[in-house]
Parts: sequence; C-alpha cells; structure tokens
Amino acid sequence: MGYSGYDIEDAIVMNKSSLDRGFGRCIAMKKHTITKENYGDGLSDRIAKPQRDTNGVLVMQNMQALDEDGIAAPGQIIRNHDVYVNKQIPTNTDRRVADTNDKLSIIKCIIRHTRRPEVGDKFSSRHGQKGVCGTIVQQEDFPFSERGICPDLIMNPHGFLSRMTIGKMIELIGGKAGLSCDRFHYGSAFGEPSGNADKVEDISNTLIKHGFSYNGKDFLYLGILGHPLEAYIFMGPIYYQKLKHMVLDKMHARASGPRVLLTRQPTQGRSRDGGLRLGEMERDCLIASGASMLIFERLMLSSDPYQVQVCRKCGLLGYYNHKLKAAYCSMCKNGENMAKMRLPYACKLLFQELQSMNVVPRLKIG
Amino acid sequence: MDRPAAGASYQRFPRVRIRELRDDYAKFELRDTDASMANALRRVMIAEVPTVAIDLVEIEVNSSVLNDEFIAHRLGLIPLTSAAAMQMRFSRDCDACDGDGSCEYCSVEFHLAARAESDQTLEVTSNDLRSNDPKVCPVDQARAYQQALSGSDFDPNTGDQRGILIVKLRRGQELRLRAIARKGIGKDHAKWSPAATVTFMYEPDIRINEELMETLTLDEKRSWVESSPTKVFAIDPITEQVRVADAEEYTYDDEVIKKAEAMGKPGLVEINAKEDSFIFTVETTGAITAYELIMNAITVLRQKLDAVRLQDDDGDLGELDAHLGGP
Repeated sequence: MGYSGYDIEDAIVMNKSSLDRGFGRCIAMKKHTITKENYGDGLSDRIAKPQRDTNGVLVMQNMQALDEDGIAAPGQIIRNHDVYVNKQIPTNTDRRVADTNDKLSIIKCIIRHTRRPEVGDKFSSRHGQKGVCGTIVQQEDFPFSERGICPDLIMNPHGFLSRMTIGKMIELIGGKAGLSCDRFHYGSAFGEPSGNADKVEDISNTLIKHGFSYNGKDFLYLGILGHPLEAYIFMGPIYYQKLKHMVLDKMHARASGPRVLLTRQPTQGRSRDGGLRLGEMERDCLIASGASMLIFERLMLSSDPYQVQVCRKCGLLGYYNHKLKAAYCSMCKNGENMAKMRLPYACKLLFQELQSMNVVPRLKIG
Repeated sequence: MDRPAAGASYQRFPRVRIRELRDDYAKFELRDTDASMANALRRVMIAEVPTVAIDLVEIEVNSSVLNDEFIAHRLGLIPLTSAAAMQMRFSRDCDACDGDGSCEYCSVEFHLAARAESDQTLEVTSNDLRSNDPKVCPVDQARAYQQALSGSDFDPNTGDQRGILIVKLRRGQELRLRAIARKGIGKDHAKWSPAATVTFMYEPDIRINEELMETLTLDEKRSWVESSPTKVFAIDPITEQVRVADAEEYTYDDEVIKKAEAMGKPGLVEINAKEDSFIFTVETTGAITAYELIMNAITVLRQKLDAVRLQDDDGDLGELDAHLGGP
C-alpha cells in the first residue's frame, strides 16, 4: 500500500504509538579517547577537578557531570555542552616531547545514548528490503482493520516489483498463518520435495481457517476519514531490523567554517565541518533559470573570493605593492595598465600552476 | 453538490445500542450518523482520552542488568488506574506547583524498592510499586484488591496475577526509585492511551438473490457457502436453503462474489456497506473501564466542538462562512 506519498523510493511510514512502545529503539555506545600529553620540563596536560566557590557551588554550570577527579562519574547524565573530562593544556606547547609511552596517559569514555527512531533512520527486513523512515504518523491516522489490527509500519509495494523478493511475501503470509494457528512454519523455498516446507497453498488454507483471506490481504479502513480503503492490503508480520545508519550521526549543515589551505575553498565532509557543494547539475539548473547573481554568489562570494591585479596590456596577474600603494605588473615592469578584479582563488591558483608549466593564460579585459 | 441554504440544520440523532459491556470490553452499534462521527469517536478514544502514567523517574540505585532509561520506559508503559484522570490537572496547566510533580492535583508519586537477597531470581513487577494515592495504582494491583474484597481466593503469585514484569534481579542486585505519574493523552505518548483496541466496521447489508440461488444444486450451494473465509452464510439443514448466518462476520473480502462469478451466476448475492451504521469494538488497557472510555471520549469530543463554537467570529471560521456563501 502506498500511504501519504512519504513512502516513495523505498521509504517506510512508521506508527508513532509503536515507537512510543519501544519499536526500533536502540542503545548507541560511543567511545571518546582523550590523551594527556607531556611537553618536557615537567610540563604536561592535567585533568583538573571542577572549580567550586567557597560554598562548594560549581563555578561553571557545564561541569555538573564531573567527579572530584575531573572526569565524569560513571552513570552521570551528560547534556549539551557538558564537560566530561576537564583537561587543561599549558599555554606554551611548542616543545612537544616525543611520546615516551610510560608518560602518556589515555582516558577513554564510553557514552551511552538511547535512541528512538526518527525520520531518516534506516530499517531493513531480512530480505535486503532496506529503506529509510519517511514519516512518523499518529496511530489514529493509521489504517486499521475491523479486528482492530493496526500496522507498525507501512512499506510501499513498488519495492517488490523489480527486486522480486518473494521470500518477504512468504515470510509475511507464513508468519500470519503461523501466529493465527500457534505453530512455527517452515518457509523454505527449496524443501518442497521433502514435504517439510509449508507450501503457500497450505498456508492459505490455514489463513482461511482463521478467517483471513487466502492471499494474506486484509480489508482496512483509512484512519483519517474512517472510509474503507479502495484496495485490499497485504498485511502481516515481518521481522524488521534497525540499521546503524542513523540521521543523528549524519546530519550536518554549515554557514561559514574552515577552508582548505591550498584552494581557500570550504572543506569537504561532515567530520571537517565541510560545506555543502553546489554541484554541476545544480549549477545547470541555475543557469537554466537565469539566476546569474545567485550563481555568482554561490560559486565565488560564498566560496573563495580573491582580489587580483591584472595587467590590461599583457593579461597576466600582477601584484599590489603595499609600500608604493600601487599595483605593478612584473611582466611589463610597470604599473600603468593595472586593473583590479575579483575571481575565485582556485582560478588564480590554476593560472599560476599553468604558468609554472609554461602555459600562459592571459585575461582580456575589455 | 447541492448545498442547503445557510442556517440549515444538518443535525442527526444517532442511536446507540450496547451489545456487550464488560470492564475492559465493549461492543456497541452506532446508527444514524456518518463515518465522520464514528471515526471522530474512534480517534478521540485512542488519542485524547486522558489517563495517568508514570512520566518522571528518579533512580536512586540501579544495579540491575537494564539501564536506567530502559526501566523508566518500561515503568511508563504500565497502565495505572485512571478513573480520576478526567478531574486531574495537566501538570503544564497546574498552578499549584511548577510542574515538578510535587502537588496532589496533577501528580501521583510512586516508590519502588527491591533487592534480591536469595539465590533465586527476583522478579520486580508492577506489584512492587507503592503509590501514595490509593486511587492511582497499577491495574493488576487494583484487580487483585477487588478480588480480595469480593472474598474470592486470592493468591498473588498465580497465573496472570503476578503483575507486569519490570526487571529481573540476581542475588545482590538492587533497584530503588521514585516515580511520578502524571495525566496525559495518547497523542503525546502511547503510554497515555487507554485504548488497546478501538475499531469499527460498517454493518454489511447482504441480499441473496433467492431465485438465482434456487438454480444451484446442494453441492454448489455448499461450495459457495464455504468459499467465504468467515462463516457468513449457512445452509438450512431442513429446507436446504442458503441463509445469512451472521452478516457481521463478513469482512468485505468479496470472495463469495468472485465465487458466484466463477460459477457463472453473477448477481447471486449483493453486499453493500450501510453508510450510516457502525459496529464498534472497544477494549481498554484497564486504566479506565470501557464504559468510562466511551463516555469520556464523548465528553472530550464535546469540549473540542465547544472550543470551535466559542471561537471568535472574526477568526478563521468567519472566513470559512464567507467562503461557503454564508450571511
């Protein structure tokens, strides 16, 4: 069944009440390592105990998790911006001494986080039918049957067509029959000659005996309006797993931040607090829309703007002499025809690299 | 679509007939109203009838195998008797306290202390929760108390009277905590939903074409009757006529219609859903009785309608009226 459009492209719709009751909850343990370094001359990092005033009240509120040794006590709750190892580093750390192992100490902290599923978390059944959670819907909006059954999760049936995961359908129909007749079913697709496997035919008979339709489809009502759904819905138990790809570990956004030394463009990737790339296809869209100022802003102003001095005569890059307060072209050996302009730093870099290879790029300025 | 003139009344007078009413189960018919009303009632029962559930847990000692938040989650899901919930305050609207659960109007305090002293595994259940308000306690405690009052043999360790398992403790492990239960609704968290099952079905209207039916042989009739996965039809053993045994067993599966077509007798039976007749099945978690659930749902629904009616006329409704061609 397709539901609400939030289940296209393998996304799944989840029932909020099921999540409240514990479906898909997980415990994520994350290890953090802190090294205590030596700088020679008896200088080293230190773990300080939390600072308190004369009444014994913490000076810094974000140190509430710390024990008297300066490390968070086991079982403490850590909130946003809390300190869990109070490491202090000397101001002068130039003379870093080569680590002699016995002087180096490491503190490892394991932080536990119980997570409930959220939009964007990845789930999978045992047939490789994986998908992210597209939306979470209140139970009263979910479809229900006249027996009162309300699903935990809705998967879009378009996932079956090209992937041909018959196993999942057999798991569903076999599971449904198995729990209505209180018996395990053997769902092998290969065991039929031995007679041990439960054939779909037998399963269908069991379903009919317990008042279900032979094909595993149920008649459902739409929870939002209370009307019957136009189609019969293939509904039954499927084993679902939560996969370790969770949005909480992946979400990332940046306005301004670090840049790469060489190109002066924003860094790449979440771990380096990188920027989000406006790629070629996105650029094409903006060109098609005629949004030239937006392209200019994205590709230059928000990336790596750089001011250069260009010689109008030879078309090469000059430089600005701060002593004489004038631009100068080192090719023409004068500063007469200089023009100021802005271009991406990566462009200036390209010109210089080309020049170093005996290729001369010349800018023609009208 | 024809729209009656402004001010015309759409009022209908629904009828309710209760078929079965037990403490935690009810089955009733709702007639002469629309799916919108029936569904509104269902939705309110699931999501907006208030109950009391554990919401804050302060753990003093926990040396069990489960971590603190795991136990807190399990405690929250234990149904508590909530007959007084309608009269309680939401802690966010409570002016007697600042929402920390220190006041009697919006919260109930629980204590739990368990330590396994013997080699036998100790099961910590909802029976170990001690409430400071006798009106609010875990439902199975309340049920055991009722049974003890009525004088029937009461053994707390038999069958389903063991309470709801929270955690198992090994020798030397201990669990000690303070929990605060608050009023809430199922929309915020499923633990506050008093409904285990709330569902309705349209009452089916089944008409057998007797003339066409008579053209079938007994064997054909039998195979046709058996084509329905549920026992909707039966053959009268004396007259050998097909009759409707239980219309409500019909699950709108269309199997008999398909079968009739396959037998070359289309139109053998005509089945339609009655648009204004619903059969409700209600089961509760035990937090409130099924009767209370239905009545409270109606109260909540009326309060919501009143809120709409009392809204400022210049508000969105005024625009809606103008849009509908009102005065």
